[in-house]
Amino acid sequence: MAEQPQQQMSEEQVKALQEKLKQMSPEELKEFQKKQCIFCQIISGKVQSRKVYEDEHVLAILDINPANPGHLLIMPKEHYSIMPQIPEEEVTHIFLATKTLSNASLRALEVQGSNIIVANGVAAGQRAQHFMVHLIPRKDNDDVNFEVPQKTIPEDELQKVQKTLSESLGAKVEQAKQGAVPTPLVPKETSVVEAEFKEKPIKKQIKNKKTKKLPKKKAIKKTKQKKQTEQKQENVNLDDIADILGAK
Amino acid sequence: MKEGCLLCQIAAEKIPSYKVYEDDLVIAVLDVNGANPGHCFVMPKEHYPILEQVPDNVLGNLFIAANKISSAIFEALKVQGTNIFLRNGIPAGQTVAHFMINVIPRQENDGVNLQWKPKQLNEEELSTVELKFKEEIKNTGVRAIESTPKVETASKETTAEPVIDDEDDYVMKQLKRIP
Repeated sequence: MAEQPQQQMSEEQVKALQEKLKQMSPEELKEFQKKQCIFCQIISGKVQSRKVYEDEHVLAILDINPANPGHLLIMPKEHYSIMPQIPEEEVTHIFLATKTLSNASLRALEVQGSNIIVANGVAAGQRAQHFMVHLIPRKDNDDVNFEVPQKTIPEDELQKVQKTLSESLGAKVEQAKQGAVPTPLVPKETSVVEAEFKEKPIKKQIKNKKTKKLPKKKAIKKTKQKKQTEQKQENVNLDDIADILGAK
Repeated sequence: MKEGCLLCQIAAEKIPSYKVYEDDLVIAVLDVNGANPGHCFVMPKEHYPILEQVPDNVLGNLFIAANKISSAIFEALKVQGTNIFLRNGIPAGQTVAHFMINVIPRQENDGVNLQWKPKQLNEEELSTVELKFKEEIKNTGVRAIESTPKVETASKETTAEPVIDDEDDYVMKQLKRIP
């Protein structure tokens, strides 16, 4: 994914760093990662970004290398590198924010769909060390193509995988039952970021620069009009999208 | 349950499937035509076509389940990564009118490609998009996450920092990645 350019290090530097990392405790490693993390710096405001939503636990910014206009990065303010590290109540909060923002993109950007992508691990396409959800607004013929091949998985393999996974998940459920009931995260304060942002991109190095220009967006409708049609708009929009899918 | 919906019938277990996980609200089954062995669908038992229609409490359970499955895939199938992937709406590639989350185990060069060609937007275009979002959220969006629902199956015990002692632990590997 296109959020962070690879940094170049010499082999010796890599080796030295690997040695150093080996000596560290998990807590030290997390601290170390945090210090290196550009997204933690965005969250703390040290690095400029275009913030569209913020609350106590999450921040959503515009991706500077978007698949489509309105491509958002939704991230927890706490540093986690992959999803399995994130507490359940926080997972819930992140994806409720994602739902809200997907809904907002359908209405505000007049798109007809969205893709949501999470990558855990380099093999999955993860580049940044800060967990994030990609929310990509979609329109017909927008030249975004995700390939998820359909393979025929042999029956004996399906049975084997089912057994392995359900046993592993069963153990997790048992553990959870023994634990205490958690208190859910309730955001104390939710606010749209009102601050003005300098027109300074997060990163200056953009490889393979393409100058494909998108048609200029129409001017934003006046708030007054919008408020009046807001409720109606929402229903119409969602029903339309669901309709096309044959939901009715 | 919606008549004629394949996934509703799978959720109601009227059609046999390779079920790996279930709670009161959600069910997860293996995709028999998955991208990789272990590719799962996590879906609500109730019929909701798109993300925006899924109630918050159901959504919470869906993603908690997806996360548990993702962790189980790491641990039990020894893969190098996982993707959580959603197609919401026809332009996004959705083909079945029942909301679902794909959890995809990943290896290098497995044929899955969730990358994109970055589009270049100028400052003005970016500002327009930013403003549109802010307007929309200010008017309507925030109420949707005012009350985070209570998570029924969650536990502080199991969601605490994972115990890491194994060199090959996948969580530890993530921490040791060269930045």
